[in-house]
Amino acid sequence: MLDSLLSILITGAMISALYALIAIGFTMIFGVGGVLNLAHGALIMAGAYVFVILNRDVIWESVALPRLLVFPLAVGAIGLASYGLYAGLVRYIEDDPVITFLATVVVATMTTEIALGIFGDQPYAYTVVRGQASIAGTSVSYNDLAGFALSWIAIGLLWYYITQTDGGRSILAASMSERGAQLTGVDLHSVRTRTWLIAGGLAGLAGIFLGGDQAATPLMWLNPLALAFIIVVIGGIGSIKGSIVAAYLIGYTETLTVSMLGQSFRGILSLVILLVVLFLLPQGLYGREYVHE
Amino acid sequence: MSERVRRIGRLRSTVRQTILLPSGRAAARVLSPIDRALRPGANLFNRFLGSYVGEVTGLQLGLLVAALVALATVPMWAPLFVGNYMRTLAVACIWAVFAMGWDIQSGYTGYISFGHSALSATAGYTTALLAVNLSPVPSFWVTIPVSILAALVLGLLIGLPSLRLSGPYFSLVTFVAVLLFYRLTIGFSETLGGENGFQAVEVFTWDFTERYYLMLVPMLLVAAALTVVARSNVGTVLVAIRENERAVSAAGLDPTKFKLWSFALSSITMGIGGVLLAHFGGNVDPATFVVVDRSIEMIAMAVIGGMSSVLGPIGGAFLFVLLRDEILRLWFGHSTRWVMLWLLVLLVLVFARNGLFRWIWHAVGAVGGDRE
Repeated sequence: MLDSLLSILITGAMISALYALIAIGFTMIFGVGGVLNLAHGALIMAGAYVFVILNRDVIWESVALPRLLVFPLAVGAIGLASYGLYAGLVRYIEDDPVITFLATVVVATMTTEIALGIFGDQPYAYTVVRGQASIAGTSVSYNDLAGFALSWIAIGLLWYYITQTDGGRSILAASMSERGAQLTGVDLHSVRTRTWLIAGGLAGLAGIFLGGDQAATPLMWLNPLALAFIIVVIGGIGSIKGSIVAAYLIGYTETLTVSMLGQSFRGILSLVILLVVLFLLPQGLYGREYVHE
Repeated sequence: MSERVRRIGRLRSTVRQTILLPSGRAAARVLSPIDRALRPGANLFNRFLGSYVGEVTGLQLGLLVAALVALATVPMWAPLFVGNYMRTLAVACIWAVFAMGWDIQSGYTGYISFGHSALSATAGYTTALLAVNLSPVPSFWVTIPVSILAALVLGLLIGLPSLRLSGPYFSLVTFVAVLLFYRLTIGFSETLGGENGFQAVEVFTWDFTERYYLMLVPMLLVAAALTVVARSNVGTVLVAIRENERAVSAAGLDPTKFKLWSFALSSITMGIGGVLLAHFGGNVDPATFVVVDRSIEMIAMAVIGGMSSVLGPIGGAFLFVLLRDEILRLWFGHSTRWVMLWLLVLLVLVFARNGLFRWIWHAVGAVGGDRE
């Protein structure tokens, strides 16, 4: 009993950290631009596949790039892709939230089809770091451990950036009140650029490790994105702290459901929590009231 | 940032000034005699039906009648083309019902639902479960109303709590609802058939012509009913909710009540579509009914045609299905076809927000008329 409890504690912590990354990016974009970005899921999937491509003999047939180089390259590429999505599409239509929402959905489905066309629907298994470790009797792959460590490093850096530097504080300001931020001299365009870059990078990071944990498939983004939705709503749309807390809540709920009831009941308990939170705390745990002018 | 946006705006207006407007005027000059010739018919139509379904100009009436005649005579001209147009157009009729059902709720009120395939799936699964678990299998006259009722009940179950939420929250909850439905079909695979679903549903008929008409007639009836609703005061209130919900409550109307009505109406429509789809192919499985892609396809159809109208989603559904199953199939493989379709939807979203068919309808209405 104690063993299985420990194993739930450990696996839950690993997966929750990745969920937190996805949810933070999603909530930042919503906070700053008021854009519900469903293409965020496509970025997760793209992260895994870009890592796979870069990892597979890029330069010559047998010479693979070292992983230490491939990893930041893939994360950076996804960050840029996210910015490209903003600069090339969302910027022109963001005045209408409904159109933006639908357009990002279409981008997500289109990316899935492109991935299907290139890679086929067979799952592609890989690991970022090979090997297994045993912590308190539970075997944990190095892949998950690295994902856990890197996501907390990323969250820590983001926290420092948002609270301690002017650039980060302007992101926070823009998500609190766009007009107020503009009046105090915040350059909204640069704030949005940075937000999309950061959110994309976080999605890429999460995608690489999710793919390493489960396997890369064109539809691998659907469940993490749905969970990110739930997490963001529970934590409060626009709140980073809320996203982290809710990510752990949902991550542990998921792990518990899977280990107690089985794989096929994934998501059901989370949805129940979501409904309860929506009715008791419509703004989420840490959300400000939902105001957008 | 606005510099580039402005440049694109300027480019667009140049294109409009030099290409679109002159060619539009030329087309108008050619078409206006036809419009005048059809005017008496339009006047008659407006006098008897105008107050229910909206007024039309001569040319618009001509277009409507031409489209109806084309749809009614499909068995005559379909064999002239390469491909299986009888089947494709029957599928298009079903999807037109779905697109209209999505639109009467999401398009009109602006509360975008991503979960509408859960509603049609409820109807489909009810039909299948009745067929599998009861013997003797009850007749169509029992299963069809029960299935539509089931869709309505689930619609109210989703709608009652979620419609009290504001815009994005509503979309998220409906999105999660459809994922949950899918998960349940896998989780309870003994009762719900799992990934393979059911193949036991009795097909209406295997005769292509007969089957086509069995899909077409309900679609037209649904379209007529929804047009009447959309053109009534209820439709106006729904659009008002999309534009400014606070103004609606300030006017003394309860927006939640109207949103619920639209959701109920939409659920019934989805139920009808779900029953048609179940009896069309005889199989009810997650891939045909439930998965999120089906919800997104409905949305795409309504968006291409023009949201918050009735004719728009129909046109969009026919265009989408024809492109997907016939026209693009001639040259492209499976995933290229889908990428091109989504690209088309994206282009319509960015450059023609109001939809292709609404644009055509208004352009035709402006011919020889007093409207701009």
